Amino acid sequence: MADVVQSISDIEFGETLPAFDPDTSLDNIKRFGQHVGWGTGRFTSHEIARKEGFPGAIVPGVLSQGFLGAMIHRWAPTAQIVVIDTVFRAPVLVDQPHQITGVVTNIDEDENTVEIDITIVNEANETRVFGTATIKLP
Amino acid sequence: MATDIEDLRERFLNIEFDEVEFEIDGKRFREYAVAAGETDPKFTDISNPDFQAPPTFVSTLVGRRTFPSDFPALNGVSMDAGKQVEWKAPVRDGMKLVGRSHLHDIYTKTGRSGRMVFLVTRMELYDKEGTHVANADTRTVIRER
Repeated sequence: MADVVQSISDIEFGETLPAFDPDTSLDNIKRFGQHVGWGTGRFTSHEIARKEGFPGAIVPGVLSQGFLGAMIHRWAPTAQIVVIDTVFRAPVLVDQPHQITGVVTNIDEDENTVEIDITIVNEANETRVFGTATIKLP
Repeated sequence: MATDIEDLRERFLNIEFDEVEFEIDGKRFREYAVAAGETDPKFTDISNPDFQAPPTFVSTLVGRRTFPSDFPALNGVSMDAGKQVEWKAPVRDGMKLVGRSHLHDIYTKTGRSGRMVFLVTRMELYDKEGTHVANADTRTVIRER
């Protein structure tokens, strides 16, 4: 497993990406809500989210998708994400530790593209978000 | 009675129902990048000559409506099931984009708890020269009652 890759020749089929711990803190989500959007109570207040039936405040899905993109860019700074699909299976809870893992599932050296499966899991190792991405590298 | 999916597909797929203009604010996508954990200056530093939005940023661009105005209310609980982005060209500070939305797919999956209807709304994003810069899909799932 390479911490950083620069070209497609650096990547092996089945390789795992370095794990990434996204910032799910309430401060980060509040700041996101203030500057980007999704600043309503279910995202920025545990109390309001509980009243709406959630276990606590939840991370906006658009930010969870952003976490996946950031993980890819940290591992492959020269990569261009061509397609990224994100499936929201269960809420990502604010102030709860989560980890993102990824694995290379296909390499197309003719097209210089790589496919990756990416998963956000909580502390109980339960999948919250699952994604697939196609990236293009030099 | 279960929703007639073939009927919905025939009536609603690939028909544009919304058009919205967006003025892209670099400070906003910088905040998005920082919150997501991006570290590359091309996403986080406004003074970087290649400053651009992370590809997934276009998922934050929201149209006026998710479904056509005459789309029937389906009997069930609706949830955001996912997002897909297809990147085609960089989105940069100050760009004016036009987002045109249509229903791209309607399909079902059946599980232990019954049938679920999936609606995929695609917003195609173009710059002022008409260059197609991205597709942003929102997948809504409705668990039928």
